[in-house]
This record gives sequence, C-alpha cells and structure tokens, in this order.
Amino acid sequence: MEETVKSIVLGLCSGGIYALLAVSYVVIYKSTRVFPFSQAAVLIIGAYIMWYCLIAWHLPIWLGFIITCAGGAILGMFIERAFMRPLVGQPILAPIVVTLCLMLFLRGLGILMGKGDIQGFGESFLPVGAWKIGFIHLPKIQVYGFILCAILIAALMLFYEKTRTGLGMRVVHEDHVVAQNLGINVKRIFQYSWIISCIIAVVAGMLLGNIQGVGLALDANGLIAIAAVLFGGLESFAGAIIAGLAIGILQMLTITYIAPLLPGETTMMIPFVFLLLILFIKPYGLFGLVRIERL
Amino acid sequence: MNINRPCGTFDRTYFQAKEIYRTPLRKTLLVLLIIGMYLLPFLTGDYGISILTLICAFTIGMLGLQIITGYCGQISIGHAAFMGVGMYTVGILQRHFGLSFWVCLPLAGLVPMFIGMLFGVPALRMKGLYLAFATLAAHFVIVYVISNWRSVTNGTDGMWMKRPGSLLGIDFVKDRNYYLLVLTITIIMTYLATNLARTKLGRSFVAVRDNDIAAEVMGINIAYTKILAFGIGCFFAGISGALGGAYYEYVNIEWFGLDDSIWYLGFLVVGGFGSIFGAIAGATVWKVMDEFSTLVTPLAETFLGGASFYASAAFSLVIYSLIIIVFLVFEPRGIAHRWEMIKRSYRLHPFPY
Amino acid sequence: MAEITRDITKKREQRYSYGLMLLRECIEKKRPLTNPNVKERKVLLRAENISIAFGKLQALNNVMVEVKEGEILAIIGPNGAGKTCLLNVISGFYRAQQGDIYMEEKRITHYSSHKIAELGLCRTFQNIALYTGLSVTDNIIAGRHPHIGYNFVAGMIYFPWANEEEAYQRAIAEDIIDFLELEHVRGSVVGMLAYGLRKRVELGRALALEPKILLLDEPMAGMNLDEKEDMARFIIDINEFLKIPIVLIEHDMGVVMDIADRIVVLDFGNMIAEGVPEEIKSNPKVIAAYLGAG
Repeated sequence: MEETVKSIVLGLCSGGIYALLAVSYVVIYKSTRVFPFSQAAVLIIGAYIMWYCLIAWHLPIWLGFIITCAGGAILGMFIERAFMRPLVGQPILAPIVVTLCLMLFLRGLGILMGKGDIQGFGESFLPVGAWKIGFIHLPKIQVYGFILCAILIAALMLFYEKTRTGLGMRVVHEDHVVAQNLGINVKRIFQYSWIISCIIAVVAGMLLGNIQGVGLALDANGLIAIAAVLFGGLESFAGAIIAGLAIGILQMLTITYIAPLLPGETTMMIPFVFLLLILFIKPYGLFGLVRIERL
Repeated sequence: MNINRPCGTFDRTYFQAKEIYRTPLRKTLLVLLIIGMYLLPFLTGDYGISILTLICAFTIGMLGLQIITGYCGQISIGHAAFMGVGMYTVGILQRHFGLSFWVCLPLAGLVPMFIGMLFGVPALRMKGLYLAFATLAAHFVIVYVISNWRSVTNGTDGMWMKRPGSLLGIDFVKDRNYYLLVLTITIIMTYLATNLARTKLGRSFVAVRDNDIAAEVMGINIAYTKILAFGIGCFFAGISGALGGAYYEYVNIEWFGLDDSIWYLGFLVVGGFGSIFGAIAGATVWKVMDEFSTLVTPLAETFLGGASFYASAAFSLVIYSLIIIVFLVFEPRGIAHRWEMIKRSYRLHPFPY
Repeated sequence: MAEITRDITKKREQRYSYGLMLLRECIEKKRPLTNPNVKERKVLLRAENISIAFGKLQALNNVMVEVKEGEILAIIGPNGAGKTCLLNVISGFYRAQQGDIYMEEKRITHYSSHKIAELGLCRTFQNIALYTGLSVTDNIIAGRHPHIGYNFVAGMIYFPWANEEEAYQRAIAEDIIDFLELEHVRGSVVGMLAYGLRKRVELGRALALEPKILLLDEPMAGMNLDEKEDMARFIIDINEFLKIPIVLIEHDMGVVMDIADRIVVLDFGNMIAEGVPEEIKSNPKVIAAYLGAG
C-alpha cells in the first residue's frame, strides 16, 4: 500500500513533464494536422543548450533558461519555415516523413553537440534534496519541475483563452479554410504553434536533462509521450494533460511492480503495450474527437 | 494521346493494352538487364558482390514498404523490426529445430506477416495516422521481446545463421553463388509485386489510398484491404530480413533500430512512391549511401577532430535526413518521377509537353 | 457481334464487341422484364421509417421511400432537406437510428457499405469522389472490383488466370466508356478532367458495379444546357436499355418533370409528397415549400 501511494505521488511528479511533452505534440497537431515526431528530439537539443550555458560557459541559471528558450523558439521558427512550409499542400505522408527525418537529424545534431557522451549537469540547477511528507520522499527536483510544468501549461491555456492570437489559433484548430476567409494569417499561426511547441519541448528537455542526465536517451521520453497523446486523444489539451500524468503514474507503477517480474528494460516497452491496448479498446482516446465524414 | 507508349504503337487487343513492356525493344532491354545483373558478379570483386547482395535484399524490403505506404497509403514506422523478426525466425528455426534454409524462407515471410497483422488490426480499423503509432509500438515491443527472450533468441548477443544448403550442386557458401540466389528471389518478388500492382487487389490498394470513403461505397472492404496490404508488406520484409541475415550469417537485433525504419520510409520517398521502380531506386540509393558514408567518415573524423565513433553515428543521421528532406521539399515524387519526366521530354522532343 | 463467354482462352486474339451487347449480357442475366404500368411494378427497394439525427439536428424523420422496378424516381426538396442524407443511409454510409431498409425483401439495414454495393445498390456522389490518381479506364475497372473473379495470390502469379480475367474486365470497361462517350479521355488521369467529364466517369464507375439500382446524387449540378441534355440522355438510356431503376436527386425542375416516373419531395427531413409529376406539380404543400407559385 505504501509502495503504491509512493509510486502514484512520484508518478504524478514525473507525469508533469510527460504532460508538458504531450501538450507540445497536441499544439502542433491541432493547428497543422501533422503529427510532429521531431519534438522527441528537440528535447535533446534543449538539454544540450542548457548544458552548454551552465557548464561550458558558466552562465547563471536565469540567463541559461532564457537562452535555451530563445534557442527553442529559433529552432521552431526555422523548422516551420524551411521544412514544413514548402509541404503545405502535399498529402499527409510528406510532412510525417519530414518530421521523422527531422527527429533523426536533430539527434545527429545532438551527437555532434555533445560529442557523443552523456553529460551530467554537475551540480544541478534545481536544488537537490528531498522533502519528507509522511513516508514519502519527494525529491525537490521533481516537485520544482512539476511546478514549472504546471505554470507553463497554465500560461499556454491563458494564452489560448485570453489573447487575440490565441483566439486565432483556436479558429485554425477548427478549420484552415474558414480561418483564412476570416482574415487570420494561417501560416503565421503555424509558425506560432511550432515556436510554442519547441519552447515547451526545450523546457521539458532541460528538466529531463537535470533528472536523467543529458544524453541521447532523452528522446525515449518523447516517444513515451506519444503514448500519452494517444491516450488522451490527439486533439485535446485536457486529454494530453491527464494522459501525461497517467503515463507518469504508469511508469512508476511499472518500476515498482512489473519490472521485478519481467527481464530486461521494461520501462520503455510498457507504455507502448499500453498504447496498443488503447488502440484496441478506445482508439480515439479519452477526449478525442470522432469526425463525421460527409460525402 | 498516350505518351507512355512510343510513337506508332497501337493496341489491337485488350491483352496488348494492359502490357507493361509493350514493344519488342522494351522486352529485349528487360531481358538484357536481367542477364546483365546475373553476369555482374563476375566482373566486380567481392566488395561489389556484397553491395549488390545487400541492394537486392533491401529491394525486397522496400517493395514491401512500397505496397504498404506507396500503394495503400498507410504509414508504417516498424518495417525494420519486421525484417528483424524474419531474420530471427530463420535463426530460431535453424538453431532449435534444425530446419533447412529452404523450409525456413517462406516461414520467414509468414511469421512477420501474422505478427504484423496482429499489430495492425486495431489501427487499420480507423482512418488516419494510427498505423504509424501502432507500428512504433510494435517496434519497441518486438525489440524488447527479442532482446529479452534469452532462451529462444539468445538475447542481445545475436544468433548465428547458416546459409542455405546446396541446391542442384551449387554451393551457397561462396558469396557469388549466394548473390545469384538472392538475385533470383529478388526477381521473383519484384514480379509478384508488379503483378499485385496491376490486379484487383492492387487497384483496391490505390482506391483506398486515393479516396477510402468512395472505395467503401464502391464495394471494397477497406479494413480487409488495409490489413492485407500491411500483411503482404510485412511478408516481403521478413523475406528480405532472412536473405540479408543469411548473407552475414549472423543476426543481432541491435542492427534494427527505429532509425532503420525511418530510413526505409525516407529512402522510399527518395525513390518515389507508387511505383516498383521507385522502390528499387530507393533501396539502391540507400545502400550506395551506406557505402559512401563508410568511405567518407574517416575524412569527417579528421575534419571534426576528436573521438572517432560519434562521427560515424552522426554522419548517417545528419546526411541521410538532409538528403531525404531536400528530396521531399524539391522533388516530392522522387527519382522515379524525375526519370519519367526525363523519358517524357525525350519522347516529346522538340515539344515541351 | 461476337458472343462473349467466360471461356476466353479459346478466343485470345479475337476482337471483342463494342457497344452495349457485352454490358447488357452481364446485367440482363440477373433481372426480368418490367411491367409498363408504373404503379403496378414490383418494389425493389423499400426504406421504411428512416430517422437519423446528428446531435440535436433531425436530418430525417420517418421517411418512407419505395423504388419500383425500371422506374426513375426523383427526390427533390430544398437544400438541407436531407436528400443526400437519405442516400447515404440507403447505401450504408450512415447508420439510421430508426428504420429499416429492404432490398428485394432482404433486410439490409445494418450491412456495411461494401456489402450493399456488392448486392447491387450503387451510387454517385454530389462532390465527385473518384480515385484521383488513376486514369478513367482504371477508375472504371476499379469499379468492377466485386465482380472480378480471382483471389490475390492468383493475381500475383498473374498468368494465366488473372491475365484472362483482366482482359475480360477491360473489355467491359471499354464498353462502358463507349456507352458514355468517354473514348477521347480514356487514358487521362481523372484529376486533369473537366467537371462534366468527371461526373460521367463517376456514372461509368457506378455502372461498372453491375447495379440493380442506381442512386445518382445531383448528376447535373453545375452543367449547362447541352451537358444536361447529354446526361439526361445517358440516364434515360441506362433506364430503358439496361433496365436499371434510377433514384435521382436533382434541383433542375425541368429535367425532373421530364424524365422522372415518380417524385418524392422532402422538406427538413420529412416527406411531404409522393406521386407522379403531374400530381406533384399541383400539390399545394410542395408549391409552398419548394416550387413557388407559377
């Protein structure tokens, strides 16, 4: 019982980062109808940029944070302008293959940046140590990470609800042609979606690099977040958040209960078994939209 | 006016109308090409034979992916994993049951076919990207199962495979003879795939890709069609894996990462969708790039200076993805389309169109 | 003209006949002749009490439609009346929440679309849904899908079964192309064709399915007078020569009054009138809802 509660609480904390990643996927998918597999590798770039700022150049944390976010924004702008914009009219296969190849390209870039080694953050930029609540040890890293994720997601939701650009993005979510007829610059909205998504992914990469070490294995988290996106529904933010937390809890429960039973590295595989189960049982996800086709 | 036929060829019977190689010249060229491919190993050394064998083996896999993605429009990110399943099927059957290679080969196609259909059934009921996610999941599950089922698959240490036993007195231990065997099987599989493209099932694949709502209302069972496309594609992948594995006489699941599945898709795009020539072109470009990268990587290492291993790993990731993206942006229909345009400009010369 | 039988191997190089003989032979084997009096003919398709709602929007409300042998039934009504919806329900694309559909006294309500197409209920689409990558001939041969005889393994091996079968199907497709006067665009990819030609290719594809009933959704939308007359001629030819009953959704009242045997009028999902054109023209409810006075 204790173990279960511990797993659930720790899972919630790490689930915050999965929720953040899931939101980054959903932001682009809702706007452009292209599923951006490349965000899994943007994590790695974010972690490496932060590492360079903190360890190689010895900058203070807040400056590193700003530089990393700026780097993410520039990366998003560049990807959208150079790779996704020329493919706007093409069948769905072309952008998907481009995002997949971008994932590998960014991975290669990560190898070149990090010279192939796994780096640690040394003294991590989030405080170490843990709080003790009852019988649970909550590492401070996880809690601060969770709070940062919550702040980011709340800021994003406020952006969508309150600002004019957010309203424009919500219209583009519904229908591109209608949005264009209403005078909304759809291509700029695509830019914004990619920039927002890359910033979010880069922040998630920073946090994960802190927890798991900066290296190429980080994109495994990105791929696990894909299972979260499918669970929550491809077009739903609420679903992405809830599913991200659920996947985090699932990971922790796996480590506690299932990993001792099965040989080898199960933490990578179990979310995908879960994905297949979702496809069998509730293929459109928790809050996914089923589109009625018209002939 | 049909510009795909040379000037002056008219069809008098329906049998003539549907021929692929219509004129005597084209038929002769096809025969010469096949004879040339058989004679090629006698001209090149062992290195050339190894490249050619791999090109042929990967062509079969590419044909499978062309059927799934190019003809039926379903995106599969797990193709390399099914190749691995084919390889391991042969390895397991040879090691634990002592079956000969000839028996293992069709099974090496059927086992990935059924496993693929198993993973594909939930995703193919629905329209959209869901097969991509299901095959992504399938990739990780398959890699996990193969890596950890030590008793059967020897885990991450890999398995030894044996080349086929001698047939008609030809010994396949020699690379050249093995290449001729692989070439024969490749020609057979290409023949099957070409025929598939122009028959009832192939047309239903294209119908499902182009307009699946209309296809359903016009009498095509789209779930059955999609599952069959995925199954046949995985069959080709399994056979490709078996032949490639028997060439190396050793298989290891670590050779089949997610990267390889994505290169499959990417080089299929480079070769061209929707045509057999595109699949062959894509596989050829891929393997030639592989060889090119092994030649160029030492230069890159001296250029970058420093640790050696990471340059080779990064090289393939960066350069291949750039090539694929450049092709997608500038020539999305691939080499096959560009070749068609060149042929068309030759036929229509001096008119522009 | 030559007699076409399944035993093509003996006639490998023979010229197949042009014109409608081949098509007629396919279809006429399955259907008897019709009674000249429209009201006494046998009912082929019966849709009873069809109701379907999308959320709160009631698209169809207890609609009853009968299609008799060999007739041309026109469904008319203002936009949003649910005409295309009715066709979608009959062809199995939408699932009605209430109601039954009987085809030749067989209950086909919950059959999936492809099974209904195999049974002989074929349709065209209001916004054309052709296979855009294929040529005109390939589209029509693709329409032959349920009636092609070999399985896929035989297809991959190709010689000799699939070879013969493909030539036979091509002959049938060419006959349809001749009937619809599409010879000049036979090899073009349909994405390149004009709108009127694409509608004809759709009609050809629906014909290729060997329909027992043909459902046409606004076949004359967006055409000028010449093209409308051509299309009307084709529809009448299909109806009289091939003896296929046709259900026609159409907005052009001139065409409807001229060629329809019976008319059904829908308005906001309800059926408000049904009968021969003379009755409908003078029906006050129809005039109020749709036709307007004068």
